[in-house]
Amino acid sequence: MSYFSNISSAITTLVDGMKVTMGYFVRPREHVTLQYPDEVWPIPTRNIGVGEIESYNTIRSKLVVDFEDCIGCKACERACPVNCINIETFKAGPEEDIGTTKNDTKIKLRVTSFTIDMSECMFCDLCTHPCPENCIHMTPDYQFISNDNVRLDVTPEERWRDRDHLIYQFSKVLPIERAQRQAEADKMAEAKAAAMEAKKAAAEKAAAAKAEQAAREAEQAQAAAATPEEPVASTAPVITDTPAAPAEPAPMDIPTLESAPEPEPVDKIEIPLETITTPEIPEVQPVSTETAAEPETSTEPGTSIEPEDSSKGETENG
Amino acid sequence: MIQLLANWILSFDILSGMGNSVAWGLSLFIVAALIFVFVAANAIVLVYIERKVSAFMQVRLGPMRVGKFGTLQTVADALKLLQKEDIIPKMADKVLFIIGPWVILVASVVTFAAIPFSDTLLAANMNIGLFYVVSISSIVVLGIVMAGWASNNKWSLYGAMRSAAQIISYEIPVGITLIAVVAVVGSLNLQTMIQAQAGTGNLFHWIPIPLPNWFIFHSPFLFIAAFVYLIGATAEINRTPFDIPESESELVAGFMTEFSGLRWALFFLSEYANATLVALLVSIIFLGGWQSPFADYEGAQIGFSVITLVAIMWTLFVRAKTGRLSVYPLGLSLVITIAAWLFPGFAIWMASPGIFWMLMKAGTIIFLLMWFRWTFPRLRVDQLMYVSWKVILPLSLINLMGVAIWMWLTGEIQF
Repeated sequence: MSYFSNISSAITTLVDGMKVTMGYFVRPREHVTLQYPDEVWPIPTRNIGVGEIESYNTIRSKLVVDFEDCIGCKACERACPVNCINIETFKAGPEEDIGTTKNDTKIKLRVTSFTIDMSECMFCDLCTHPCPENCIHMTPDYQFISNDNVRLDVTPEERWRDRDHLIYQFSKVLPIERAQRQAEADKMAEAKAAAMEAKKAAAEKAAAAKAEQAAREAEQAQAAAATPEEPVASTAPVITDTPAAPAEPAPMDIPTLESAPEPEPVDKIEIPLETITTPEIPEVQPVSTETAAEPETSTEPGTSIEPEDSSKGETENG
Repeated sequence: MIQLLANWILSFDILSGMGNSVAWGLSLFIVAALIFVFVAANAIVLVYIERKVSAFMQVRLGPMRVGKFGTLQTVADALKLLQKEDIIPKMADKVLFIIGPWVILVASVVTFAAIPFSDTLLAANMNIGLFYVVSISSIVVLGIVMAGWASNNKWSLYGAMRSAAQIISYEIPVGITLIAVVAVVGSLNLQTMIQAQAGTGNLFHWIPIPLPNWFIFHSPFLFIAAFVYLIGATAEINRTPFDIPESESELVAGFMTEFSGLRWALFFLSEYANATLVALLVSIIFLGGWQSPFADYEGAQIGFSVITLVAIMWTLFVRAKTGRLSVYPLGLSLVITIAAWLFPGFAIWMASPGIFWMLMKAGTIIFLLMWFRWTFPRLRVDQLMYVSWKVILPLSLINLMGVAIWMWLTGEIQF
């Protein structure tokens, strides 16, 4: 009997299924398809209690810069917790007039590259607050569609990397102009470095003279049977480990001579700062404090150190 | 039709110079071309309809962007398929790989030669028309096995073997079901078969409901036989729920796995040609072919009025049950009924036989096949064989016996 009940249940269930599909077929206009380019879902709005400011009460989807108002202060770059903003600036010449922002602030830095990697961005909105010109802001544009080439700075070698990143270039500066600026800046840096070398040489001479004078003074004060010389001698072997040092005989000269290889350790400091402490720092710090020429040679790395301190402070504030 | 066309060609003064045999050959060629164009255009339209039907059954929209409501979508698809690279796998059996799709296409197109679309629109009026159609359409399995074997691919071979097993299994119940119909008509000629279904009569000969003399209303046995044939034919043309030869979820695309571009398009073409053929055969054998369902124009008027009444009742039923008001069927039937009562010419046209009714019936059956396809899940191989050998075959044998007894009881035949 199960044979016939099987057949009858098959027929009834098939008819049931056909009823269901026909029910959907004859019911017009209950489809769930969204014809995307013609129709879009409404953007959800919310009120987080900040007020009637439009940018707060919509979803945050795409980070956008009004590039005409950017003064290149890098405040947003420092504020970004995931380092998705990258800004490249060059100092404008003294006679150059780049323009003013909507707040009538004179732009002093030429921003050659302003990239935001939207694949890294976590939509935290922290970058928009430090901006003095209110030119960087989140928009509710979730579609990320663009008709113009927004990836101007992507070189062919970066193509593969670019597949994992969604880099938006906001600067209108062409790569050629950028290269020119870079060359100019390099030239200026070279000139600066040359000037610095000259200055350094002068400082060395002065230091050597000083050392000679000190040596003379030491000779004169030999009778005093120098106890302060012993700690200097104890530091000397540590520093002479570096390759640049060994030619120099006098222990007193070493601090000034160390200023040449010194930018490298300062560069290294940038990275360890995130991991908070390194053993080298206490050794270097006395050296940098002793030499008068230090702050001038390390201007560029110095600027990159400061932001990180301030960014730390800001993230804590935020 | 070929002789008519040849006579028509010879009736022109300019063309009368050519001999009778030349005219005959020319009209043969024209008719063959017409059939092929019909099959190709039919496939393009049916693919679009199928996509729309499936979409509506799944609460989607279907193609919407090429042309208005996506009407040109399948044309664009066909153009794309024609442009595609023709890939023949390195290890494939080249000859069979190339011949396979053509065997399938030719086998499914050639069967249209015996299909009568109206009393004159018929390529070849054969006295063994039904036998011809059934036997030629069985050649399709040969092409499928060719294609599956030549692909040198396990999925293709699986698909081909399954297809062969399935078609051979379902040939038997389908054949026996057709024998039951042939027993009623006493002829294998499809045109004779349609002419035997003219006029109106009682349902199942005794129940006093006036219905057309179609074989589906001939007897309870033929009523069941229609559905048996539909199921068997669905299996023969490899359509869902019997699509195990090309079951996408198991055998990538079955015997079509290695085919691309034009060759794949040929498979597709023959698939829809076969579906159309089955629909046409069902409407010829069981639904009266090109016969009108109405005996005369008064019958058409009354018939449409009854349809409108049914539509009103259905609308009220749906309204009571679901709370929805679906006015489209009611509105359509109402408009047709009013037109039939106001314009007797319209009613007369509706009551006269012709290609319109043939295509209407075939379209209904095709819609039924699509409805099956987008409702039922695929059968397992053993279930397929179970249905064929244990359910449908006994049923068709009982039908054959039952029809014979029925005809003896009603006095259609005397011993």
